[in-house]
Amino acid sequence: MLRYIALRGLLALLVAFTVSLAAFFLLNVATDPAQAIAGEDATPDVVEAIRARYGLDQPMPVRYAEWLGGVLQGDFGESYYWHKPVAELVVDRADETLTLAFSALAVTILIAIPLGALAALNPNSWIDRFALGVAVSAQAVPNFWLGLIMIILFGVMVPIFPVSGDDTWRHFVLPAFVLGASSVPAVMRLTRTGLIEVMGADYIRTARAKGFRGWPLLQRHALRNALLPVISVLAVQLGQKFGGSVITESIFAINGLGRLALESILGADIPTVQMLIFVFAIVFVAMNLLADILNAALDPRIRIG
Amino acid sequence: MNFRLRALGAASAIALALSFGPAHAGKNDDTLRAAMAEEILNLDYNYTTKREYIILAQLTDATLFTIDPVSQEVQPSIATAYDFVDDTTLDVTLREDVKFHDGSTLTAEDVAYSYNWIKSPESESNATGVVSRWLENAEVVAPNKVRFHLASVYPLVIRDMANRIMIRKAGTYDANGTINRDAMASDLIATGPYKVTSFEPGTELVLERFEDYFGDKPAIQKIIVRNIPDVGTQQAELMSGGVDWMFKVPLDLAESLGKTPMASHLSGADLRVGFIVLDAHGYTDPEGPLTDVRVRQAINHALNTEEMAKYLIGGSAEAIHTACHPAQFGCDQSVTAYPYDPEKAKALLAEAGFADGFPLELWAYRDKAAAEAVAADLTAVGIKVDLRYVKLESLNQARAARDIPAYFGTWGSGGTADTAAIARIHFSDSDRNMSGDADLEALVLSAEQTADQEKRKEIYSEALGKIADEAYWAPLFTYSANYLVSPDLDFPLDPDGLPRLQHASWK
Amino acid sequence: MTDTDMTLAAVDSGPEAEAEGLTPGQIFRQRLFGHTGFLIGAGLLLLIALIALLAPYIAPHDPFQQSLANRMLPPVWAEGGNPDYLLGTDQNGRDYLSRLIYGTRVSITIGVGAATIGMLIGVTLGVLAGYFGGWVDHAISFLLTAQLALPGLLLAMALVFIIGPSIWVVIGIVGVLHWTYYLVVTRAATQRIRSLDFVAAAAASGATPRQIIWHEILPNLASSIIVIFTFELGIAILAESSLSFLGVGIQPPTPSWGLMIAEGKQAMFYRPWLVVLPGICLFLLVIGANLMGDGLRDITSPEGRSK
Repeated sequence: MLRYIALRGLLALLVAFTVSLAAFFLLNVATDPAQAIAGEDATPDVVEAIRARYGLDQPMPVRYAEWLGGVLQGDFGESYYWHKPVAELVVDRADETLTLAFSALAVTILIAIPLGALAALNPNSWIDRFALGVAVSAQAVPNFWLGLIMIILFGVMVPIFPVSGDDTWRHFVLPAFVLGASSVPAVMRLTRTGLIEVMGADYIRTARAKGFRGWPLLQRHALRNALLPVISVLAVQLGQKFGGSVITESIFAINGLGRLALESILGADIPTVQMLIFVFAIVFVAMNLLADILNAALDPRIRIG
Repeated sequence: MNFRLRALGAASAIALALSFGPAHAGKNDDTLRAAMAEEILNLDYNYTTKREYIILAQLTDATLFTIDPVSQEVQPSIATAYDFVDDTTLDVTLREDVKFHDGSTLTAEDVAYSYNWIKSPESESNATGVVSRWLENAEVVAPNKVRFHLASVYPLVIRDMANRIMIRKAGTYDANGTINRDAMASDLIATGPYKVTSFEPGTELVLERFEDYFGDKPAIQKIIVRNIPDVGTQQAELMSGGVDWMFKVPLDLAESLGKTPMASHLSGADLRVGFIVLDAHGYTDPEGPLTDVRVRQAINHALNTEEMAKYLIGGSAEAIHTACHPAQFGCDQSVTAYPYDPEKAKALLAEAGFADGFPLELWAYRDKAAAEAVAADLTAVGIKVDLRYVKLESLNQARAARDIPAYFGTWGSGGTADTAAIARIHFSDSDRNMSGDADLEALVLSAEQTADQEKRKEIYSEALGKIADEAYWAPLFTYSANYLVSPDLDFPLDPDGLPRLQHASWK
Repeated sequence: MTDTDMTLAAVDSGPEAEAEGLTPGQIFRQRLFGHTGFLIGAGLLLLIALIALLAPYIAPHDPFQQSLANRMLPPVWAEGGNPDYLLGTDQNGRDYLSRLIYGTRVSITIGVGAATIGMLIGVTLGVLAGYFGGWVDHAISFLLTAQLALPGLLLAMALVFIIGPSIWVVIGIVGVLHWTYYLVVTRAATQRIRSLDFVAAAAASGATPRQIIWHEILPNLASSIIVIFTFELGIAILAESSLSFLGVGIQPPTPSWGLMIAEGKQAMFYRPWLVVLPGICLFLLVIGANLMGDGLRDITSPEGRSK
């Protein structure tokens, strides 16, 4: 088991390094960080001065080697824009993204699990159809569009929640809903299928024979077993939330990692892009790994290693 | 920002929904809240370039001279007078009552240090290039007098002094022999009308009126600059009273919101011009259609620049036919114009042997609607335009590699109302110059070798005439600066397009 | 991308059941026409495909024809609407309805193109891994893990930004980043089929792996591949719209719904239809694909859960 985890971790690092290497060279070829820093009306001498100041006039392999040397000592370099260590920048911004990701996950759970359970308890009823409708619709709505619609609705028509910023919990309501909605279909369907399966199992029939019906039946016997696979899917979904934060954070002006990623790609802030690739890759792998481990731990039939 | 203020914002948003006026806090606490999309990360204009930083430098810094935005004349500031001892020796007399924000008095040493530091290559200042063009060195000759030894004759020296070099205390960047280029990046000690009281890079900058400022004191006591990257968010904040001032507002938004009682729409002049640069020399294709002057003239005729200016840029924007802003010194308006005439454009194309048009890659980096309008007009006369809408950095990169046959460029001349500020970079030794015209280049450079204004005017007339006749560019329009401000705010606009928050006041 | 997190479990149930043999045609058709979701989905897709095909005949205007004096007109039912422009005009005075109609072409091209590329990659890898096992399987699993470790949207953005956006680049990149479901499903199914008697029989009678894959395995995978393809169609369309929305996808003036939403965003408080309308189009197309996918999966799975 430990060996498996170590292997997956190593793999994530390998992938992150490969991608960051590619990103480094490609970004350097495609854009000019010095120009990006200097701005629209910068004259060539200004751009040259900046290039010298940031060492951008060094050959690319030298710069990559320098960066890599730093990373091996735990130093991810300094952002071209923010004039501070990238690691500090990422740590500063991480809490916004964590807040968003976990509150989005909470939204998913609060909507998807009750809905899935209700649907499973009443298969082929109107509520089942409704749940299916919600799932199918949520899957087809572009996330960024849902965000804009929320802003139109809540920003102007019903101004209950603020539509931008990240200062209070109220600011996270709409973004968390938008980001959380994207995971509802998967979790809802899994809850429903899992429950229906469990309800057909022998021990439930026994419980039913003993007179358990409806909610008590669900609560005491079925839900726990049906939710085990859901939990591991939630871990994967949490990883996805980090990826999804790019769009949501940009739309709702949340100063988190997602927006930082978007800005640093568009602005050719290479050191920041490099570190974010690492962070995202590790989060993804960690969440997938967590899901695998949960699966294995919960289901004795699966053995990994 | 804190919880209470946000709650206030939400409350006023609800008030808004009930169609009461918004609660603008600004006037009550004498605090002007300005929104900026660009992240403010460094307060030292000696180490920055972007427009936002110029606006801030106006607030926090003072320079030796200022240029009056209306008359374009030199006015005294830290310096009271200047005197050319000879062509390359300039004496500047200083005021004696100029205070730094830390309370110390400015000396001639400080001024000489600032110039010499920026001139030195190890400063790696963004102004180094500008200053080393003309400065040999600066020396203190009297307690209130600094002598500048110039490397060459340079007509714009006073203008550069007024615009580019911020005065720091002696030793600021290399105290104790260690170089610290970020010394003033966040804890700025300068001489301007406002001083920094707190600064969170990328988030918020708080400025307070500097009571010991030597010049006219601004009316508003406190200015808070908030970084709000999204225009929509800025707008929401303006509507709820969290912001009193926003700039670079897209025309449609400015007009729509300006019609409501929640904000006033101000539209002022801007020195920025938009234009299409054509690869007349044939860098991308030596035999390409753009090397034929008739094709370039056809492109000029094909563009309905009047409509673009009126509908897409709006405000005070106007169509132009010169490779400079009409308000700039030397921008001769009598040069050849190519009025909108698609039929004539088609005829010229046919004459040049392109009756069926040709494919053209057109690059652009801003004002997407205008870029699309240009593309559509060219398509209408048969040129098959492939629009490459990219980030500025990518465009510059591709242009440096000579991969761009035509691009939609804009230039703000750094707020300098002189043709020199646009001609040099676009028609001399630079990859922006796609004319490949050596005579033109020599002409443009010669204008900088004389301090005789009449002579300069003549030279620019000749150069601009050549540019127009050869149709090296397709000039498009001037820009207008659109602002949305709180209805309580009196914000005067200057003809050079630079917003000066220090001149704002409450109604 | 937006929804790569499709119900893996749900997709799985189809192919796993697949190995037990094809449903006889008659029952299949019966199920097909008795499945409401499938009918709605297929109907929507068919309608949108028809619109795309007949765009030049349906669209009232040239989608590229600008008229600056008529820019930002509201839809005909709103105040100031002009009956010439049923759904109003955009920021360059182009007819919005015509652009929405032509937008179907962009979305469908990208959806089909990217889903096909993903299919080619995913199915090839999946069948190879499932059939040969051993180090081939290990290597391919490595690729899978690597792919799953990548932040998809970010990577797509960076790649499109770097290579330079065009419709073909977008198709290629979205396709290359969306093959994992094909792989997971076909790998498992291939392993199962491979262990079945008829494959062993074919191998014993001297059939090469190539023949076995082409004649015995791929036909049995067909229905699950079609199901995934349908889902991936929707995912790819959403991915393109996200990229275009962020400005690193389809380039103007090509009418892409995601791009149109981005362009309308600035004025969305005053002209919400600029944002609402293309969003509805996207929604209908993607929901069509998803409903059809759901339907196909239900129909092809043996218990035929009909809705």
